[in-house]
Amino acid sequence: MVEIAEIAVSAAELKLGTEPVEAAGVRVSLADGKVRYSMRARDPAVLEGVLGRSLPRKIGDTDAGIACLGPDEWYVVLPDNFDLPRGEGLPVSVVDVSSRALGLVLEGPGALAVLSSGCPLDLAKMSVDRATRTVFETVEIVVWREAEDRWHVEVWRSFATWLWHAFVAAMHGSAK
Amino acid sequence: MSGFRLADGGRIDRRTKRNFTFDGKARWGYAGDSLASALLAQGQMLFGRSFKYHRPRGILGAGVEEPNALVTVDRGPGRVTPNLRAPSVALHDGLKATSQNRFPTLKTDLIAVNNVFSAFFPAGFYNKTFMWPRAAWEKVYEPIIRRLAGLGDSPTTRDPDHYDATYAHCETLVVGAGPAGIAAALEAAANGGRVFLIDEQEEIGGGALSDPAQWAWLAEASAKLAAMDNVTVLSRTTAIGHYHQNFVVAAERLTDHLPVDGAHGPREKLWRIRAGEVVLAMGAIERPLVFEGNDVPGVMLASAAKTFALRYGVAVGRKVVVMAVHDSGWRDALALHAVGVPIAAIVDIRRDVAADLIEGARAARIACYQGYAVTGVSGGQAVNGVTIALAGVGKGQKLECDAMLMAGGWTPTVHLWSHAKGTLRWDENWGAFLPDKTHENLRCVGACAGDWDFGKGLSVGLLPAPKPLHESKAFVDFQNDVKARDIGLAVQEGFRSIEHIKRYTTNGMATDQGKTSNLNGLQIASGVLSRPVTEIGLTTFRPPYTPQSFGAMLGHHKEALFQPLRKTAIDDWAADHDAVYENVAQWRRARYFPQGSEDMNAAVARECRTVRSAVGVFDASTLGKIEVVGPDAAEFLNRMYTNPWKSLEPGRCRYGLLLGEHGFIIDDGVSARLAPDRFHLTTTTGGAARVLNMMEDYLQTEWSDLDVWLTSTTEQWSVIAVQGPKARRVIAPLVEGIDLSPEAFPHMSVREGHICGVETRLFRVSFTGELGFEVNVPAEHGRMVWEAIWAEGQKHGAVAYGTETMHVLRAEKGFIIVGQDTDGTVTPDDAGLGWAVGKKKPDFVGKRSLARPDIVAPGRKQLVGLLTDDPQAVLEEGAQIVADPNQPVPMKMIGHVTSSYHSATLGRSIAMALVAGGRDRMGETLHIPMPGGVISAKVVAPMFYDAEGSRLNG
Repeated sequence: MVEIAEIAVSAAELKLGTEPVEAAGVRVSLADGKVRYSMRARDPAVLEGVLGRSLPRKIGDTDAGIACLGPDEWYVVLPDNFDLPRGEGLPVSVVDVSSRALGLVLEGPGALAVLSSGCPLDLAKMSVDRATRTVFETVEIVVWREAEDRWHVEVWRSFATWLWHAFVAAMHGSAK
Repeated sequence: MSGFRLADGGRIDRRTKRNFTFDGKARWGYAGDSLASALLAQGQMLFGRSFKYHRPRGILGAGVEEPNALVTVDRGPGRVTPNLRAPSVALHDGLKATSQNRFPTLKTDLIAVNNVFSAFFPAGFYNKTFMWPRAAWEKVYEPIIRRLAGLGDSPTTRDPDHYDATYAHCETLVVGAGPAGIAAALEAAANGGRVFLIDEQEEIGGGALSDPAQWAWLAEASAKLAAMDNVTVLSRTTAIGHYHQNFVVAAERLTDHLPVDGAHGPREKLWRIRAGEVVLAMGAIERPLVFEGNDVPGVMLASAAKTFALRYGVAVGRKVVVMAVHDSGWRDALALHAVGVPIAAIVDIRRDVAADLIEGARAARIACYQGYAVTGVSGGQAVNGVTIALAGVGKGQKLECDAMLMAGGWTPTVHLWSHAKGTLRWDENWGAFLPDKTHENLRCVGACAGDWDFGKGLSVGLLPAPKPLHESKAFVDFQNDVKARDIGLAVQEGFRSIEHIKRYTTNGMATDQGKTSNLNGLQIASGVLSRPVTEIGLTTFRPPYTPQSFGAMLGHHKEALFQPLRKTAIDDWAADHDAVYENVAQWRRARYFPQGSEDMNAAVARECRTVRSAVGVFDASTLGKIEVVGPDAAEFLNRMYTNPWKSLEPGRCRYGLLLGEHGFIIDDGVSARLAPDRFHLTTTTGGAARVLNMMEDYLQTEWSDLDVWLTSTTEQWSVIAVQGPKARRVIAPLVEGIDLSPEAFPHMSVREGHICGVETRLFRVSFTGELGFEVNVPAEHGRMVWEAIWAEGQKHGAVAYGTETMHVLRAEKGFIIVGQDTDGTVTPDDAGLGWAVGKKKPDFVGKRSLARPDIVAPGRKQLVGLLTDDPQAVLEEGAQIVADPNQPVPMKMIGHVTSSYHSATLGRSIAMALVAGGRDRMGETLHIPMPGGVISAKVVAPMFYDAEGSRLNG
């Protein structure tokens, strides 16, 4: 009879880190409060009219807090207390998703290795100020390269705890 | 005792001794030894017992192809690894290795009696013999056979090690760091791209490690590679498999070569590499020869003996006979002779052998027997002589020896090439398959491409022998104990394809995947069938190239990180209030909140009574939510859902029923129109992602003309359900900007305003039948608002309730749960939800299917209520229902129980069930046969409480 011991640490016991963790040349921390919007439009010009500003047009490009994630999709991450018009009645969709996600920030010379440990994209070739939706292992994320060694990672709230600890495990090269 | 350490030579460090144990006995070797070389140096010949006949076995090869010398390495509790190949186990201080599959000891194995009766264990023996009685297979035969014919023992405790994993990208990935691989890596690196060079051995070099003449070059090349920023060299790293678009997975062993107390950090690391170009430089593996006694310990590959001598400084014997059908055997013999391994004779089935080889052998005073074959081997646990005969005919003559080397030619290692669906072509000169065409950016170099000079040779696996095939004990697959005659038997019994012969005989199906046996098996089948090899086919190579640990596959996905456990913003509050949880999809949800010593029934009964009499608070945050926005939002929903949506006024809610194209219910939920062009949809907890994907799919592929967009807002909102006659009084002091009066805020409506100072989408909806509200607030405020509502609720005797109470309350009202009361074959009418289907709508997803003959036929299973005759009997969910309990078994089952609870409110049990023709059976008594007896129940409408709905108004 095979006896498997109690799970050493159950997922239920994991807590989202509140203090930054630093190891192996990487620092992971929670980003400050943000407002977030998911914006969609068939014609970017209509959405630009609603917002009163231009949008990045190439997928992966970002411009002042707005990332173009798809042919008709933009994701907005801005400092707190920022309200966008909704464009009522127009062929656009502006949805407040500020609470949907949390931002995790990976900084330092080892940040790329930590993110690459679970993300199948060739992130070394991603330029600064580019953003993309991808996955870390099984969890969907949006990665935003803010600087050479600074990556902002957007993740849905309920997956943030797992992601935090997965980053820490990758930082230590083990889940201990 | 025949192997010994040569006076000098090898890449071992003779100044550093390593102490280890084998089968509990103290042994030693040098730093740089493998477990196999260290044991050989101490004269160990016997390494294991064979899988089926428990025949004594020694070392065959010097690499991962080794089929015999499988050992278990014990690195402490939970760290016992079975079935490691001794030549691939690096020696370290304190290594504890044991042999396997022997009882009680390696030398005296009682099960070897199998060998005596081996004539009674032919191919397919187990399948033929243990057919009857059928039940005995699982309980008796299989466990016994597995115990006797086994590999090492499986681990029985949790693996305490951790495993790392990463993705990596490069322009060029070179698999195999022999001379060809190193050359390819240097060339690619010079072009500037990122280069990965990976190799399974302890150090890079491949075949060059067994050739001192190349060591200077190897050191230079290694240093050059190490100095290049764009090159990553990984040794102890096995490329497990090649997958689509040059995705190669490799496992790096990080600590197993270190003493236990010196091993820190993860044990292995899984590399998931995407490469622009993959260069395979995997080399070739020498083939054994098939003849009587070819498995006696001391009979091994010539290339292995060469590696042991030149790389490890170990001679495999003091009097060595070589049986070659290939020039490489002669070359190896001469190389061995040159470093002091005494070669007594070279036997070659060929009469014509290159003059320089014969010259070399003569100069070395080695006896040469051209045209001869080995026809027998003497010795039990160690070879002590061989019989050779001219052309393999007749009694022949005996040669004394203590080791015998086989040189049967070379098989290019095309495993990863084949993983990549690269085609192979038969090459007569090699007597093997070589890489042909591929659709990947993939190429082979060196020996695995057929581009290597091993000399010339025959491609016969089976040596000529005086005995008929069916009497011989000439082994083809050493690990699975498959003999040449088993292949003959398979052909005799009608198998023609190598895929069938393989499965019947198990040739090539052991943990070595036939690295030394596939080609020989194929050649023998070809000979018996008198058909060319190319017509018999080749078995398929599949990952992994060599056996790998489960830990490496898991990476960080173990224990707490096995998979994400999703928690709501209110989950911590529930934990502080002693919630018992259940997992729903990836979420964990509070199931009930026991107080004191309450069990689930008591807690749920209390929670239910309090909701019905006062008020309860429930965390409904996991409900799927989708914001549907755009001028065509109503049109889109009208097409998706069964009921009409265009007429819904802003500020009102509607129950939506979602079907698949097949017409069956797949999801449901209450949705609200916030503005003419904005809806707030809800889905079931488990259906959230599925429904969004389905809607997105329709939008992109069927109705791309609609100006409407979908955004998942499941995690944006915390949802706090406040249900019960006092619900309004609980939230009233907290809500701002919304008129809560029944006239201004009727059932099934939505208002936007503020609660506790934060924005809210306040729904007046009820999944309990009571007056109810669902407070949606941005998740970051969920906990704060919940606590405020909870504090206010305390003034009114509120309970916090969980999913179990939610289930009971909704069942009392006959509300279905999709996935519990439906099973993917239930139509709206079956579920009693015909009212939710818009009869006048021109179309909606699933509409056409609702008119199919079998969907409108009478007698379909319909959702009904069941009341047991014994009011305290609670039916089991999933229990089958029959009309007549006295009919003979097997009875005709007419339905099953879908939901069943004890209702504290009603003081009795209630149940819902899907029953054939259920609505025509109202008042009938049906029967539910259970192990403890038959339970009878009356069919009623699935509505047990407040049928007129008066309680919705508080």
